[in-house]
Amino acid sequence: MRDVLLVFAYGMITALATGLGALPFLLVRTVSGRMIGRLNAVASGLMLGASFGLLAEGTRFGGWQTFSGGLLGVLFILVTNRYLREHHPQAGSPAGSEPGKADGLRRMVLIVTVMTVHSLAEGVAIGASFGGGMALATFITVAIAVHNIPEGVAISAVLRSNGISVPRCAGWSIVSSLPQPVMAVPAFLFVEAFAPALPYGIGFAAGAMVFMVLLEILPEAYGKGSAREIGTITTLSMIAMMLFQKMVAG
Amino acid sequence: MATPLIVLLYASIAALSAIPGGLVRWSAEPSRDRWLGWAYALAAGGMLGAAFVLTGVSDATAAAGAIGAVLGVGFIGATHSVTRLETLDLSRPDREDPTAGPRLVAIHALHACTEGVAIGVAMAVDLSLGVFMALAIAVHNVPEAALLSSATREQGASLPGTVGLVILSNVGQPALAVATWLLATTVPASLPWVLGFAVGALLNLVMTELLPASYREAGSTSIALVASVALGLVVLLGGILP
Repeated sequence: MRDVLLVFAYGMITALATGLGALPFLLVRTVSGRMIGRLNAVASGLMLGASFGLLAEGTRFGGWQTFSGGLLGVLFILVTNRYLREHHPQAGSPAGSEPGKADGLRRMVLIVTVMTVHSLAEGVAIGASFGGGMALATFITVAIAVHNIPEGVAISAVLRSNGISVPRCAGWSIVSSLPQPVMAVPAFLFVEAFAPALPYGIGFAAGAMVFMVLLEILPEAYGKGSAREIGTITTLSMIAMMLFQKMVAG
Repeated sequence: MATPLIVLLYASIAALSAIPGGLVRWSAEPSRDRWLGWAYALAAGGMLGAAFVLTGVSDATAAAGAIGAVLGVGFIGATHSVTRLETLDLSRPDREDPTAGPRLVAIHALHACTEGVAIGVAMAVDLSLGVFMALAIAVHNVPEAALLSSATREQGASLPGTVGLVILSNVGQPALAVATWLLATTVPASLPWVLGFAVGALLNLVMTELLPASYREAGSTSIALVASVALGLVVLLGGILP
């Protein structure tokens, strides 16, 4: 029981760390059109870099499983996006408000959904790795917590560019990581049952994330700046994320 | 067969595969051209996959790779400054602008050279990885040369002239592949830097040239689908390598 509580507590710490990703936005005072493009470019790069990390992890367990999980992830975003378009074209905003606002809202719902689903897979990964012995627990927790911060930056970049306040950005970032402690516990207890599903889950998360970036976040970014500026910011953010993950992994 | 010859052979296959792409005739609709967009998306997804495969083989210090990658990004940025990319429509170059044609061919040539570096460094890591990279880039070259040919036709070039331009813009690929292979095998310490350079340059090509051009031609749903499935397939095939 003590171990279960410990796994949950460690998972919770990693979730709270995601909220730290909102902090850099205290420094960004006004959000201009140009800034929205750049923020979306940063978010795209961070998420693509994170997906590369997931793909590397998933293909270690099995290429086909990761690939089919990825296709399911693409399908999931396709269906979710269609649903959001059809059923909530004006959700949360007063009738007759500008269509751009509804698009922004859809994008926000989409990124929070995607990041939440992706932390389901990460939660399983945490729990499963704890199965290897509690000695590694602290190290893994710190690694995942640190790794969550740029993910919080990605979420906050999209929310902040739609006018959401910094504390709320932090709140939603934490919410998106809550599945980590929740999923870590069963994965820790039933490692044998969860392990075969892991590459599918990781592939699903990577596919959903890549597809959402290509479908929504990048086109939005390119619309608000030159291809050169947006593309270079995206590439550099992606490289930074990959370097970061490599350093965290040791 | 000696290894440099293998490098040359496969890099040449990659370059030559551009020719059928150059022969494909694209429907020239006045406003947007979906097929053009999907060709860009296919090339972009394949190239993202190639970059992913290269990131997986570097066991060297992450810092050298990252610095190399930033240099690769800078290199592509410099080629864009030299060719003044922002004033050039890659798909529909301005007929009135006499520099548009040469600049277009120059961009494609620099692009092909970058891919040559990727093939060469992959060959230096492992021959089977290099062959895989060459074949992946060969597939990627087909839609890319088709894009070049549709643009040169727009400029009024004849079909033989277009094929000539496609070949001209791709000769740098095998040359750079062999040169990179020589560098990385004779100076092994350069390997992580060159790997990083190739990754950074490939990623920046995707983000500054291929993806923005694709979104101009077709809706983001189809672009995202084509690019992510292409990425997935290259990642899958790259993982099967021995």
